[in-house]
Amino acid sequence: MRATGWLLIFACAALLLAHAQEEVEGGSTRTILAVEQAWSEAEARGDKRTLDRIFDNAVVYIEDGSLLTKGECLLRLRSAGSHLRQIEAGTALVHIFGSTAIVVGTYREIGVNDGKTVLRRWRFIDTWVNKKGSWVLVAAGSAPLIR
Amino acid sequence: MRTLMLVVLLACAATSAVDAQGDPDSDAASKIVAMEHVWAQAYMAKDPRALARILDDAFVCVASDGKLMTKAQVMGDVKTSTALQILTESMVVHMHGDTAIVMGTFRTRGVEHGKPYARRERFVDTWLNKNGQWVSLTTMVTLTAE
Repeated sequence: MRATGWLLIFACAALLLAHAQEEVEGGSTRTILAVEQAWSEAEARGDKRTLDRIFDNAVVYIEDGSLLTKGECLLRLRSAGSHLRQIEAGTALVHIFGSTAIVVGTYREIGVNDGKTVLRRWRFIDTWVNKKGSWVLVAAGSAPLIR
Repeated sequence: MRTLMLVVLLACAATSAVDAQGDPDSDAASKIVAMEHVWAQAYMAKDPRALARILDDAFVCVASDGKLMTKAQVMGDVKTSTALQILTESMVVHMHGDTAIVMGTFRTRGVEHGKPYARRERFVDTWLNKNGQWVSLTTMVTLTAE
């Protein structure tokens, strides 16, 4: 009888712990998706200050065969801003591994090139690390979706 | 004087080597680089078994055409690999606590549909220390200029 009681207590404790873990992960997922959104918006309006906060100093970014550092990402923003009009978020799936998070998703980039509207769809992988309570981007990459 | 300088240089080099050996980040980076080589070997040997330990169950890969692949799909891809030679040109590891980012380039030579090919690709991989074992969570590959 006493053993059954202990079993019930352990089962309840395990359920509570699992629930607490889900709450923490759910909160992190929401935070990361919000930062992803802030990143897209900052890029579209050329907001270097916001991007400086979001990007870790050692961030690396690959796209179209090129590797960019944080400085190069911020510098590119100035030149891209002239023709980049809008970034529309598509799907995004977040996997949390403690203080590391992976986001896999798609987005659409709508820009203007030689007076013509250009639409490109991309798939991305972003890696976030929680440093001192804030999620910062440490690696990212995008590949154009070829149908 | 020249001998003294040489002695000082050798002493400095020896100290750096010892420091590097004792540095946990340096040890972790060496392990991860070794596993990256095992990964390339698996493709050349068409043997996915080594990858089972290296790739996390939630592993995802985005190829240069934007195709998304899971661990099971990558392991299946290894079995039908057309790569005869994979040569890693460079690798740099950035440590962020239990997370490591590896970036680099490699050249692949192989034969596909009876035709030889050679390509150069750039990659960024994310590794995570899970219960003392480093596993890869993601890889992103993009074709790069020769």
